[in-house]
Amino acid sequence: MKLAYYPGCVSQSTGKEMDTSTRAVSAALGIELVELPDWNCCGATHVSNELVATGLAARNMAQTDLPIMTACSICYSNLRAAAQRLEEPDTLEKVNAVLDKKYSGARVRHALDVILEALTEGDERIVVPLKGLLVAPYYGCLLTRPAGLYSPQFPTILEELIKRLQAEPVDFRLKTFCCGGPIFMPQEKAADDIAFKILTEAKKAGAEVIVTVCPLCHLMLDAKQKVLEQKHGEKIGIPVLYVTQLAGIALGLGQEELGLFMNSVSPMAMIERVYERMAEGI
Amino acid sequence: MARDEQFKQEVLRLAGQEVLTCIQCGTCSASCPTARLMNPSIRRLIKLCLEGKKEEATHNETLWLCTSCLLCTVRCPRGIRPKAVVSALKDIAERAGLQGKDAAYEKFFLEQIKDYGRIAELALTAKFLLIFPQGAVQSMQMGLELLPRGKIGLEIERIKGRDEVKRIIEELWKE
Repeated sequence: MKLAYYPGCVSQSTGKEMDTSTRAVSAALGIELVELPDWNCCGATHVSNELVATGLAARNMAQTDLPIMTACSICYSNLRAAAQRLEEPDTLEKVNAVLDKKYSGARVRHALDVILEALTEGDERIVVPLKGLLVAPYYGCLLTRPAGLYSPQFPTILEELIKRLQAEPVDFRLKTFCCGGPIFMPQEKAADDIAFKILTEAKKAGAEVIVTVCPLCHLMLDAKQKVLEQKHGEKIGIPVLYVTQLAGIALGLGQEELGLFMNSVSPMAMIERVYERMAEGI
Repeated sequence: MARDEQFKQEVLRLAGQEVLTCIQCGTCSASCPTARLMNPSIRRLIKLCLEGKKEEATHNETLWLCTSCLLCTVRCPRGIRPKAVVSALKDIAERAGLQGKDAAYEKFFLEQIKDYGRIAELALTAKFLLIFPQGAVQSMQMGLELLPRGKIGLEIERIKGRDEVKRIIEELWKE
């Protein structure tokens, strides 16, 4: 399978391990990624003018004829929302009037969906089955919104992938609740309170690890975890992995390839438990 | 204050005519992750738009507490997109030259896309801190986490299609 890969701006900075692990897992699963030529920012959640946001997304989508894959839920949501708006002839005309390469439709996919499709039930490439690992499936908002392939409130695809890796999804009440990330710079306290609530809830649900599909969720739950612990005087200590990192561990990929040293809360103790359980099982 | 009909029509144009069908049920407010901090609530914000109360609708903290999570939008029983109303109000306020840290953040964000085609988080943060130094503590904390892990991009990447991106932003903004 050949896909155009849209890394998104954070792939160069705060989301480096998302990018690294996406490329590694794709290669391991025989998915050929061609980086989208000269891609631009999707506007994230900070471009209030919908037509401008649509135009920015359309320029990206017009760069290729291949289906486009991204591992970032924000990019994914923006591209999908734009594709929906571009179905209106009036919007399409206005946008195409300012584009060099014209937009004529696109298929946008999230890495999660691509990985799940590539892995069969009991896939032999899963050399490190994550048996007994309790995983909190954290969707955040934008993988499932605006409504598309998945239920915007009660999605199950992440649980499906977790099970396919032979781990156990925990019942996580806040799985589609916002992490607060989009407003963390100008509205620090509001964002922090929400993120802390999600972390404590995941812990209460018994999770050993939280899995995310968005670099902003990851930043809020992983990079900010220590600060949130200090602010609230409560230890959380729960690793937060990108879904591509979790899949990569099950596929037996190396720590470097998956960027596991880039995570703020080290997942190493959790990974050791996975190996111990595997050894016990043999 | 008198009803500003032109303002109301502008909101409807940007966010959709279905806003007129709002029944004020409050599902949007009940779904909102930052609702407890909002005044006016998102439900009330929509009412203000329909009443043509431009000043109250565009000058409030509510607009900037929206995380764009879209839960209101997928839940609204009338098919209204409350988040699109928030975006419309931000757009209207920004066009009118609204000042403030939150509007400035959006402005810097868009300027970066216009100049480089992509976001350089470090430069964006630095620029934001100049006008909002209170954010420095958080930024330092984040920097200490991210820098040793190689997760702060120090270089600004510039795409080839910058002229096209600039045109997209400037021309479509006028529509």
